[in-house]
Amino acid sequence: MMAEGAIQAGCKFFAGYPITPATGVFKTMVDQLPSSGGVALSAPDEISAIAYCIGASMRGFKAMTATSGPGWALMIESVQYALITETPLVVALVQRLGPSTGGATQGGQGDVLLAEFCTSGGYTIPILCPTTANECFELSILAFTWAEIFRTPVILLSDKETGMTIESIDYSRLSKSTSQNRPTNFAFRDIGEFKKEQRRGTYYFDSLHEIPAFAPVGGDRKVTATGSAHDKQGRLQKNSPETIDVLLHLEEKIHWRSDDFSVVKADLQSGAKRLVVSYGVTSRAARDAVLKARSSGRKVSSLTIQSLFPVPARKISEAMEGVEEVIVAEENFRGLYRSVIERHCNGRKVRGVNKIGGMITPQEILSAITG
Amino acid sequence: MEIPVATNGMEVVYRKPSTLTETPFHYCPGCGHGVAHRLLMEVVEEMGIQEKTIGVAPVGCSVFAYHYMNIDMQEAAHGRACAVATGIKRVMPDRFVFSYQGDGDLAAIGTGETIHTVNRGENILVVFINNAIYGMTGGQMAPTTLLGMVTSTTPYGREQPVMGFPLKITDLIAQLPGSYYVTRQAVHTPATVRKTKKAFRTAFEYQQHKKGTCFVEVVSNCPSGWKMTPVESNEWMEKNMFPAYPLGDLKVPHPILSQV
Repeated sequence: MMAEGAIQAGCKFFAGYPITPATGVFKTMVDQLPSSGGVALSAPDEISAIAYCIGASMRGFKAMTATSGPGWALMIESVQYALITETPLVVALVQRLGPSTGGATQGGQGDVLLAEFCTSGGYTIPILCPTTANECFELSILAFTWAEIFRTPVILLSDKETGMTIESIDYSRLSKSTSQNRPTNFAFRDIGEFKKEQRRGTYYFDSLHEIPAFAPVGGDRKVTATGSAHDKQGRLQKNSPETIDVLLHLEEKIHWRSDDFSVVKADLQSGAKRLVVSYGVTSRAARDAVLKARSSGRKVSSLTIQSLFPVPARKISEAMEGVEEVIVAEENFRGLYRSVIERHCNGRKVRGVNKIGGMITPQEILSAITG
Repeated sequence: MEIPVATNGMEVVYRKPSTLTETPFHYCPGCGHGVAHRLLMEVVEEMGIQEKTIGVAPVGCSVFAYHYMNIDMQEAAHGRACAVATGIKRVMPDRFVFSYQGDGDLAAIGTGETIHTVNRGENILVVFINNAIYGMTGGQMAPTTLLGMVTSTTPYGREQPVMGFPLKITDLIAQLPGSYYVTRQAVHTPATVRKTKKAFRTAFEYQQHKKGTCFVEVVSNCPSGWKMTPVESNEWMEKNMFPAYPLGDLKVPHPILSQV
């Protein structure tokens, strides 16, 4: 469904490398993308796969790749490159048990921080996290919209269960919107119209949060891109004031809009003293647990976070009103996302329900709610 | 495991080498991995080097090689087997070190490591199992996949304009001055099995005399990935794989230089 969502979003380029549990996205793209006018390529490794995508995106194609933890480790180099060159890109990261080769057929939610904090400098990379097959489709479209209009890599972070489970869905009820396109003042014209001078180049902005208009490579004017720190024309510079501005802009363009990135599903009960926070496949267990707790007369709220980063701080604060204790359920042993949202809990007690090597069950969350 | 049979007056001519563990192979019926594992371990047993041999396994079907080969086995990250083997050999030059890799591991994600390991002439044996497909992840196109061959990522067959040519990496390896002995064999008939075993033996002997990288490709089958019975897959391999990957030595040492 992530692949189908991508095609619906207008994705025209995919490159991948076989890796369980993300191979399904790869196979669907190879099957379906060419017939919808796109290009799907097999790469010799993940390093190449993501680099192919960046090249295609630099021409203006909506591009996507899919991988799992070990492949993500190899892609980090180019994700950083996409970030600093402001190249739109969607990476479907289907988590499995790590570290290293880990458990290829074992799910997990252990890549949350590895995905978010993969850049030198700790730049915010938007992360969307689907819970069901429907959401795989819908959030895939949203991931493309964010990637395009904010000119940034976006991670569609799922897990083995969400990515590989066969589910029935009502096709007619799926959102049929496409994703928005990147802002551009520049047209792709014939080579004869090429202008040598750069005029307000690819990275031009007035205020730090402004998204520069995209100019394609191979277009009507000279375009440069570099992974080095650069000025607004894309020319390598070390630490000139303009270059520092560009580096700050990379974060500010996301940070300034952080409320626009908030996607959560809140199921709040008035008078509830406990709030269960979850994401991905664990949310399905959390929903069950919350319903069971309520049926036995307890008051409890639930918050499913779909936009993990930037942290939907306002939505989290709203959900916490009146709450005394926050329970964060996730399939990793350290409570990775718990460590991120603890600072938004304003001194409330925060507990984790954590597990590796298997999905968290509704019973385990229920015990935490009632315990 | 001792099987109680009357052996009075009879000579044992065939038995499992002590260098294989008791674990039954998990490989699909008809797969060549089991035979290749066994041959390698027979050579290790015959040369009496079990305690001195260290293997590096890839990511792929033979990721489980350590279950079966009763020697020190390290599994490397995907594609990095030759690089890890380099590190091991450099600090223990008196040990016999080999990597055991499939086509995806060696000729796709590990191309760089493979080429540079051979180019340095690392004194190791590289065993390359080429079945022209990614077996473990469910039959995707590999660099060695033949033109026209159907895989799950080339549902209409591999087309050269889109997916390029089958990569004859062993031919490439033979061109590098660091490689000492390069050969391409198979394991689907008694005759090919004997030749492959001889190739492994030769390679380990060269390693003993510090001759440089020995590279043994084993053209093999993947009945599951190819969607064929074991017999069909072997017939298909003879008819299609061998013309693209002809068996035989690609590089043998100069007769005078090779005197050991």
